[in-house]
Amino acid sequence: MSFEEADLGTHVVLAPEGKFNLVAAPPLKARIDDLVAAGRSRLVVDLGAVDFIDSSGLGALIGGLKSARQQGGDLRIAGAGDQVRAVLKLTNLDRILAPYDTVEEAVHDW
Amino acid sequence: MTGDAARGDDAYVLEGFAVPEQLDAVHTLLAQAAAEHPELDPMDVMLFETAIIEIANNVVEYGRPEGEVRWKFTIRVREDEIEAELDDTGQTFTPERGRTMPGEDAEGGRGLAIAEAVLDRIEFKRLDDTNHWRMVRRLGQVRPD
Repeated sequence: MSFEEADLGTHVVLAPEGKFNLVAAPPLKARIDDLVAAGRSRLVVDLGAVDFIDSSGLGALIGGLKSARQQGGDLRIAGAGDQVRAVLKLTNLDRILAPYDTVEEAVHDW
Repeated sequence: MTGDAARGDDAYVLEGFAVPEQLDAVHTLLAQAAAEHPELDPMDVMLFETAIIEIANNVVEYGRPEGEVRWKFTIRVREDEIEAELDDTGQTFTPERGRTMPGEDAEGGRGLAIAEAVLDRIEFKRLDDTNHWRMVRRLGQVRPD
């Protein structure tokens, strides 16, 4: 799975597509780690084109969130569909990965 | 490395290798079952899909010898439940059951916990040289909050 990336100055938006699963999660997590290492620790993962997430996808988001926060930034998610929201709730991860409706809302204070 | 899907009288069956590329075929199999059973609540289908993919992931990730494990998925839709049976030829192992959901910081370990949260029944047996999973979700329940 490929993902789109957009550098918007104050933050970087990563947009995976399709199934965010054990195939797709490692490359996205690796890219997040590279960005954070390069000092880009304000990240948005736009899930608008993701129709399914599994525990590997969740793990990549949590790992990315931890890396970003360790560097003083944050990782926020936007555009999550029904399945992603249901899984976030089921795993209690919606507490630390609050889903924003849009990328614009996610970056409102950056 | 392709899988073969077939529609029996009352069952949707997929056979192939338990490899990452075959996970899409599992999604497709359930989508086919759901399309032919419009009475199913989309929420039931979505949660069931989430659960069976976690079990499938488990076989793909930990089944040995890697890349050589074969599996057979059978999905049945009944009036009051949806069931998936998964037989795989991987090595014997003992799944860790009754897991609580890992804490917020954990990057892994949620797969079986998610499946157990969504399914009403999850059974695992080793029969001869085959691991046998049976996963059931009752239909028409109160939705998870």
